Amino acid sequence: MSKSRFFGLLFCLIFPLAVSAEETQLQRGAHVALEVCNACHSLKYVKYSDLTRLGFTKAQVDSMRGEKEMGAPLLSQMAPNDELGMFGIVPPDLSLMAKAREGGAEYIYSMITGFYTDSNGQTANHVFPGIKMPDVFMIAQADASGRREIEQKAKDVSAFLAWASDPQAEERKTLGRYVIGYFVFLTILLFFLKKKIWSRLG
Amino acid sequence: MNKIVAWIDQRFPLTPFIKHELTDYPTPRNLSYWWGFGFLAGFVLVIQIVTGIFLAMHYKPDSSMAFDSIQHIMREVNYGWLIRYLHSTGASAFFAVIYTHMARTLYYGSYRRPRELLWWTGQGLLLLMMATAFMGYLLPWGQMSYWGATVITNLFSATPVIGGQIVTWLRGGFAVDDPTLTRFFSLHYLFPFLIFAAVVVHLVALHTVRSSNPSGINLADKDNIPFHPYFTIKDLFGLGIFMIVYLMIVFFKPNLFIDAANNIPANPMQTPADIVPEWYFLPFYAILRAVPDLAGGVVAMAISVLIFAAMPYLDRSRITGGARYRPVYRAMFYVFVINIFVLGYVGAHPPSGPLKTVGEISTTIYFLIFLLLPFISRWEEKFVLARGLPPAVEAQARKEIAEAEGHV
Repeated sequence: MSKSRFFGLLFCLIFPLAVSAEETQLQRGAHVALEVCNACHSLKYVKYSDLTRLGFTKAQVDSMRGEKEMGAPLLSQMAPNDELGMFGIVPPDLSLMAKAREGGAEYIYSMITGFYTDSNGQTANHVFPGIKMPDVFMIAQADASGRREIEQKAKDVSAFLAWASDPQAEERKTLGRYVIGYFVFLTILLFFLKKKIWSRLG
Repeated sequence: MNKIVAWIDQRFPLTPFIKHELTDYPTPRNLSYWWGFGFLAGFVLVIQIVTGIFLAMHYKPDSSMAFDSIQHIMREVNYGWLIRYLHSTGASAFFAVIYTHMARTLYYGSYRRPRELLWWTGQGLLLLMMATAFMGYLLPWGQMSYWGATVITNLFSATPVIGGQIVTWLRGGFAVDDPTLTRFFSLHYLFPFLIFAAVVVHLVALHTVRSSNPSGINLADKDNIPFHPYFTIKDLFGLGIFMIVYLMIVFFKPNLFIDAANNIPANPMQTPADIVPEWYFLPFYAILRAVPDLAGGVVAMAISVLIFAAMPYLDRSRITGGARYRPVYRAMFYVFVINIFVLGYVGAHPPSGPLKTVGEISTTIYFLIFLLLPFISRWEEKFVLARGLPPAVEAQARKEIAEAEGHV
């Protein structure tokens, strides 16, 4: 047993809740992103170590990263040149995708679930005509229950990509509440101070 | 403490300066909160300079590293996201404050004699600010940065004979590239200090002619109060309100003013579907596109910004108090403001179909307001005087008319 596995197991024994609790949407999305998207797309601004901020244990991240360093970016599993040969383009980096499209996460969700079979029997996309990406979840062929499953995965991965594009959103909003609260308080004080000073004029 | 101040005062006029410019500086007591926007603009300038200096510590002005270095700031630098969002939102806040400051000047006629130089230094500040904002927008090296800079530098090709050379000279090459980025970075760091110096000139001019006031009457001494503490506290309260609005955007909607396409790295091989400038340039961009000919569009756009400087001469009315006692001027002011918003909307969308016509009509209205003002204002002066005014306002207006006529 490797050292990291051992400590991972130890961690699970000490904090059983962290493991037994159901995975969050961001964690489910991270799995989809790593197991599906990351095969062709890089997420070069996201590092494996960042994944611990989603509540993954170090052991879980270790199993995701395989041979890669903890501080390594989530580069695509394929070499860019092979991708160029296969798709005609290098698939775009996904770390900022949720910010780089109008509509953000909703756009990504609609794109992933937007594949259909057109009248010529070709797979096409409602949102992105002429897309070079294949219908990876095969939603165009899916039946109703398969569709629901894929839609859930699309929702999860869109949420994950929104996080990847703006990982400090939570911290920012938490801090923002305190900062705004402080300024509201200060401004109220300034208002009364202003009243007091101006009252000298009579 | 007093000893130290006395020591300094023997060598430098510290106490007299504070007395003259703050604690004794006479300020009309009837100034409304609309007069607080100049102070706010100064404050935002300081925010921009301070956050900008910290951003420059982590930013790489190199076309192969610029985009990545922004993400480095956003993700790895301690509170880098905060510094960057303060700066990017600060640019919008700066323009919002300055446009309000200008609207107040226009509404209350604060540009009129003897405040022409004050107004013109402000006009110079606006131009410097626009140049700074435009160059700063290239630095993230996103798609909109790149193509915005390409479109705007290309406007100079409308210059007769040497147009092409000027464009190459501005860009440091045939296309926007690394040399453009490095020079824009250098100038984007320089210009704020020029703005700072110009603000000092603006303030010297202000303290010579003093603030205008909403009544338009030259106030008697008893109606002036010291700037400090009355207006320091009033401005600080205004600042509190401003900070709440500004920080709400910074913390909860920081991407409101960042175009989605600017989160895609600059790609010279791929033009975005629609090249749109930042919101604060949209009305002028709409005017540029409303004229079918490039040179004509550039000239129209330049005039649309510079024409504000002519206001002291275009407005020939001598009724004081700005729009307050001038119903026609007031109506023109509101039409102008609404028209600016219409132009902004047009500038944000591709110019086709009915929107193109709207843009052309709005552009015509924009210039007509300025061109008709000399005639309307003189006619309105007679009309208003005949109709009757509050005695103090009428007395001052008649005095100014007599003085002007005496000079002729």
